[in-house]
Amino acid sequence: MSAMDVRLENLSKSFGSNVVLKALDLTFPERKFVTLLGPSGCGKTTLLRLIAGLERASGGAILFGGERVDHLPPGERNIAMVFQSYALYPTMDVASNIGYGLKVRGTPKAERSEKVGVVAKVLEIPHLLARKPRALSGGQRQRVALGRAMVRKPDIFLMDEPLSNLDAKLRATMRGELKRFHLDLETTSIYVTHDQLEAMTMSDLVAVMHEGVVQQFATPEEVYDRPVNLFVAGFIGSPPMNFCDVTVAERNGSPVLMLAGRALPAPPGFALPRADEGRRLVLGIRPQDVRLARPDDPGAVPGTVWMVELIGSERLVEVEVAPKLRITAEVKAEVRAAIDTPAAVAFDAAKVHLFDPGTGLALPRLG
Amino acid sequence: MTPREVVGRVLLYVLLVAVTLVVCFPLVWAFFTSVKPKDEIFAWPPTLWPEVWTLENYRALFAGKDAYFQAGGGVSTAAPPSAFFLDWFLNSVIIALGTTAISTIVSTLAAYSLTRFRFPGQRAVPYLALVGYMVPSIIFVFPMFLVMADLRLTDTLASLILGYVCITLPFCMWLMWAFFRGVPVEIEEAALVDGASRLRVFFEIVLPTAWPGIVAAAIFTLIVSWNDYLFGRVFMNSMENLPLTVGVMHFFDGTHVDWGLMMASSVLMTVPMAILFAALQRHLVAGFGAGAVKG
Repeated sequence: MSAMDVRLENLSKSFGSNVVLKALDLTFPERKFVTLLGPSGCGKTTLLRLIAGLERASGGAILFGGERVDHLPPGERNIAMVFQSYALYPTMDVASNIGYGLKVRGTPKAERSEKVGVVAKVLEIPHLLARKPRALSGGQRQRVALGRAMVRKPDIFLMDEPLSNLDAKLRATMRGELKRFHLDLETTSIYVTHDQLEAMTMSDLVAVMHEGVVQQFATPEEVYDRPVNLFVAGFIGSPPMNFCDVTVAERNGSPVLMLAGRALPAPPGFALPRADEGRRLVLGIRPQDVRLARPDDPGAVPGTVWMVELIGSERLVEVEVAPKLRITAEVKAEVRAAIDTPAAVAFDAAKVHLFDPGTGLALPRLG
Repeated sequence: MTPREVVGRVLLYVLLVAVTLVVCFPLVWAFFTSVKPKDEIFAWPPTLWPEVWTLENYRALFAGKDAYFQAGGGVSTAAPPSAFFLDWFLNSVIIALGTTAISTIVSTLAAYSLTRFRFPGQRAVPYLALVGYMVPSIIFVFPMFLVMADLRLTDTLASLILGYVCITLPFCMWLMWAFFRGVPVEIEEAALVDGASRLRVFFEIVLPTAWPGIVAAAIFTLIVSWNDYLFGRVFMNSMENLPLTVGVMHFFDGTHVDWGLMMASSVLMTVPMAILFAALQRHLVAGFGAGAVKG
């Protein structure tokens, strides 16, 4: 099976006066599993449909393996697509659904049956081949949709939120299976989702999108550990990152960050020169990196427990450190905290993210 | 099943049988009358079951007008109306099939474009069409007669086909529009990605999916064009060109009604529709149901 990289050059798309994609320049490397991640309305599905040829771009170019394809209809791009609703042909049985692409391409019936049989075996659905889609469960429909995409051995595999109609348990199973299929098929895969868990667990690369712009295109680790701006920092991670307004100050010749009247040591890795004194910044810290401390701990920010939520093996404790300023700590479920009692939050300065409140961009790190 | 449920079920079946009897009685009466000799039809007290069975009425209807051809050509003025029954039957078949073919094809294509392509007025058209269907056809019939006269189409089967297309098309289009709205666009896009052309997608994916709706629209058109009396009465005047509904009224004259021929014609008019209904009933229910729910 061949695989191709997908390159977008200055790609834009508008519906009337509504600009959905703004001059995207992006390359999806061949054989990689790339996820387009973002909230509803960010343009990720539109981008996938442009790559598929189901929408026409307003400007720019799409290249597969260096060849322009934006003038080609979907059927001539040698792509396969799995739709959110599966989009199985309701009047055809499973075998005909899987084999339709081969039939359209004139593959002889015997060869078609053989290929459909092989794919059905891989997907463990040979017993379903004679059934109509309406007689299948959600998970089975999903497999048929995958089979239809796999059987043609496409250059590029496109998936539009294919797991969103499944229940949580099946979704977890299918995540693993999809990743496994990708590794076996060695095809360039582009996957659209708004579910960061899917993006983080399955992808080689994640493109985080917002308002028609790719905010960050990097590995899942980098997107999580080094978000480039406030949007990515807030969107990636569950529960979301805590953000607090801080001011740069100086104590004993060293820069510190003033948070709710407390001086916190300046995080390592950021250059905060003396000239920055008085500068306002946004401090970001993930709830997983916040711990509860004693109220009299001098290195902690004191406050009052505002809310406690048990989320299984962990507990979320929201501490109000200033009026309307709450910091969430994700702690072990065994840790007890009572609402409206004094508490304090502390965190490792090395885990802190700093952002410019004006531009929303992350402050550059040293080295 | 509890005794209460058994009683409920029995009452339901009794009710269904009663309703069926009421609905079927005129048909049963018509059939038995059609196979009675004339004197028995008027016997008093009336009987349902014939004492003597005869096919004389059917024979008269199927005799055709061959027996009444004059030596110089044409049909003798002495030919009774029953001699034209086969002509009327064929006319009705042509009119019904012609109307159904045109109405179904045009409404399917129109409804598909209304649900899939964007243009000004796209949302208003189906509702306006439905409003048009709500106007009684008697309001259209005379203006349409004038149009047909201008087109020199009066007294032709084409005039009736065009007339029935005008009155059935709006509802068929609305029905198909409601149906197509329930057919997900994604299945067409999936077929495009699979490599099918637009035309192939329409014939291999869209039409089979919309089949129940198409059957429902076709049956509706068939019923209207087969049963209508008004347009045939106004547009046609030659005995040979009449549709069945207008033709059989010639079994009435000022002094005499031939009930035997009338009932035999009624039975023969009902049979094709009954067979069609029995064969397509499943699709009909699915079609109207799908249109109603998904629309």
